[in-house]
Amino acid sequence: MDYFATVLISSLSSASILLIATLGLAVVFGLMGVINLAHGEFIMMGAYSALTATQLGIPFILAIPVAVLVTMVFGALVEIIIIRRLYGRLFDTMLATWGLSLALYQGAVLIFGSVSPGIGMPQINFNVGDYTLAAYPIFMILVAAVMLAGIYALLTRTVYGMKARAAIQVPDMARAIGIDSARTNTLTFAIGCGLAGFAGAILLPIVPATPSMGFAFVIKAFLTVVIAGPVTLAGSALAAIGVGTGASVVASFMTSVAGDLFFFILTVVLLRLYPLGVSAKWRIKL
Amino acid sequence: MEHNLTTAEKIHGSIGISAPTIAVIIALGISGMLDPYLAYVASLWVIYGLLGMSLDLVWGRGGVLSLGQTAFYGLGGYFGSVVAINFSELTGNSLIWALPTGAACGALSAAVIGYLIFYARTGPLQTTILTYTFTILLWTLSQSFKITIGEAKIGGDNGMANIPGMILDFGEDATTLEPNAMFATVVVISAVIYFAVRLLMSGPFGRVVDCIRIDGEKTELLGYDIRKYQLQNFMIAGAIAGIAGALFAAWSNYLNPSIFSVQEALMVPIYVLVGGAGTLSGAFIGSVLIGGLSFWLGGGAISGQTTLILGLVLIVLVIFLKNGILGALNSLWLRFLPDRNRAVHSIKPVTIDASVVENILADAEVAAGPPKSLETKNATKAFGGVIPVNDVSLKFEPGIPHSVIGPNGAGKSSFLKVCVGMYPPDSGDVLLGGENVSHSPIFQCVAKGLGVKNQKPQVFGELSIFENLWTAAFSMTRDKNKANQIADQILTMLGMHEQGNVEASALSHGQQQWLDIGMVLCLTPRTILFDEPAAGMTNEETRELSHLVRILAKKTTVLVVEHDMEFVRTLDGMVTVLHQGAFFAKGDIVKLRADDRVLDIYLGRRAHVQSI
Repeated sequence: MDYFATVLISSLSSASILLIATLGLAVVFGLMGVINLAHGEFIMMGAYSALTATQLGIPFILAIPVAVLVTMVFGALVEIIIIRRLYGRLFDTMLATWGLSLALYQGAVLIFGSVSPGIGMPQINFNVGDYTLAAYPIFMILVAAVMLAGIYALLTRTVYGMKARAAIQVPDMARAIGIDSARTNTLTFAIGCGLAGFAGAILLPIVPATPSMGFAFVIKAFLTVVIAGPVTLAGSALAAIGVGTGASVVASFMTSVAGDLFFFILTVVLLRLYPLGVSAKWRIKL
Repeated sequence: MEHNLTTAEKIHGSIGISAPTIAVIIALGISGMLDPYLAYVASLWVIYGLLGMSLDLVWGRGGVLSLGQTAFYGLGGYFGSVVAINFSELTGNSLIWALPTGAACGALSAAVIGYLIFYARTGPLQTTILTYTFTILLWTLSQSFKITIGEAKIGGDNGMANIPGMILDFGEDATTLEPNAMFATVVVISAVIYFAVRLLMSGPFGRVVDCIRIDGEKTELLGYDIRKYQLQNFMIAGAIAGIAGALFAAWSNYLNPSIFSVQEALMVPIYVLVGGAGTLSGAFIGSVLIGGLSFWLGGGAISGQTTLILGLVLIVLVIFLKNGILGALNSLWLRFLPDRNRAVHSIKPVTIDASVVENILADAEVAAGPPKSLETKNATKAFGGVIPVNDVSLKFEPGIPHSVIGPNGAGKSSFLKVCVGMYPPDSGDVLLGGENVSHSPIFQCVAKGLGVKNQKPQVFGELSIFENLWTAAFSMTRDKNKANQIADQILTMLGMHEQGNVEASALSHGQQQWLDIGMVLCLTPRTILFDEPAAGMTNEETRELSHLVRILAKKTTVLVVEHDMEFVRTLDGMVTVLHQGAFFAKGDIVKLRADDRVLDIYLGRRAHVQSI
């Protein structure tokens, strides 16, 4: 029973980690209709930014905003230089961000080498019956919830959020009433990248920074967004928690590859039932 | 419709065969003289070209970006090698084992993935993501996957060694080919595959695949099961990738999981983009050019940063070089050819000759049987709280034209979409000639005799006028010659006989409406649905259209959804009024015009509207 509880808690924590890693992708997809194949590398960039900051003596808690800032600025540049030229060209956008993904990966290999030191996880533990769980991964459940609430507030309670939603729903009308949709999109993409950077930084104690860490995240992150469908925020949360928990239960009994495989197969089954994502017929919009 | 082509245009049209033929002859000619090391490296470029072509088939022609071609390539390589390792000693020849196994394995794995993607009707984005994650999944999976099958040992990260090279001879003393002979072999195999694929893709199959890329919905409205075509195309591409993988394994004598890596996968779209998407031969140009360039520059100098550079190259290619080298050359060449669409200005206005249409209809009745009635029984379709089709029971018979009218938002178009199978009804039934088609997919409704013209003209802009009509006619006849005849008949009726070669995109809006109507007639439909066919037509054209509809209604069931009341009046048929998704009134137009309640809903007067 205790064992079952620990598996469930740690699986829920894995699902939350997945959600943290996915939200940036979901925001960009939901608000711009663009899939950023370099999303994993933005997570990696966030992780390395936070790592470098801590190595320079900045406390970890302050290294997180540094990582967010770095990835946001870089994301804004990418939007202006690349994405903006490819609006409405879905495949080309994916190819270009894919090229970026590999360039960033190789860039990280050249700058940081293929192995980097991790940073220690805060040593706080608690017990469930006979089992001891580390507190930090469990803390991620709370982080995911706060992130979700924060993004929801950002999109519904701020002027930017309203502009961004207007720009995606009726782009022409949004422009007609004076919303600079190009600038809104730049900000949206930067926020998406910033969220990826945040994920890389906050997960650093759990997932050490390596150049290839992005590829480890993207299978599940991309599939989560695909399962979610058009209502990206609520859909991703549901998909990450539903399928993600299942996959990590499988992974904890078998191997992590089996977890990924399970995730893939479940995605395919879900797409059979909901070809355009589980949220295709939902009436809420976020 | 190859008439009035100049010699220059003919050369341009056949360049996809002549230029590759010359290239193959040159490659075979110099294969004996090449430096063995260059021949060895160049074999790999050709193999990569084959892999690139498999992507071009799916992406450039099929319109679906697959990032999973290296997955089929790798699977073909692994399984082809397992069989070759175990059996090639029996025969000497290794390729007769490796290539068929590679092809089968590539096609089979593509069939599984393709079935899931195309039969679930997921979107293009989902397709790309699924193929990409499939590749990464195989990459991680293969790193720890260990198995021994007979003589073949797959050792996870350590890969699989001792893969036999390319052996063509049979018998015990057969020897592995020297690099120069290997190069020639790879060129011949690739050439055979290229010409076979080109032949296939310039026939009906390729035409339908092109149509799906341009407008999948319209292709299905022409009665083609687009899922089947997409899946078959995907499987062919998978088989080609599998063959390329088996060739690669024989070339390197060794495989490891890096064949599934993203770095490997990255190369494939680059080859296609450099050469030109949709050209099939472009991928070879891309791979030879890039391979040759890095050979020239000496691969060692940039090897550490190759991925970095190629990643950036991909970004630059996507932004700046959309059509690749062949695309750029083609548009340059086209400038020196007479304008293909020059004849478009001399299209005469359509005049409907009753006897011609009646002949066509008589032929259609022979081919497709008597007209079919269309009936809905309590059909209901809701979207959330909106009910655009609310418990509608109507029956339409041949003899006179039927019109459905109603103010904006009355549910006219939705009703039509329910009849066609685009919106399967939530409850109630749709009967075509007495047969229940409520939940039949669109292409089946069309195959059973339904012809549909949507509100917006849907024509395949990149195809010629004749090809548009032919594609529609071929869907029903499945016979090239009969399709030629029918398309020719309709082409003449539309007054476009001299313009068969003109691209459909060069036509004006009204002309595209006529072409679309012509395509529907090519289907020899037993029941015809027109959604606002007169939109965008001039008064003269509308008059001709009314004439056509009245003739059609004598021999088929015709249902017109229309806004233009004057047009409806000229049809002189039975009129049904829909209001807020439900049946409201029925009768001839004179009666309805005198009906106060109908006027009320059109004019938005309150008194009667509220009493309904």
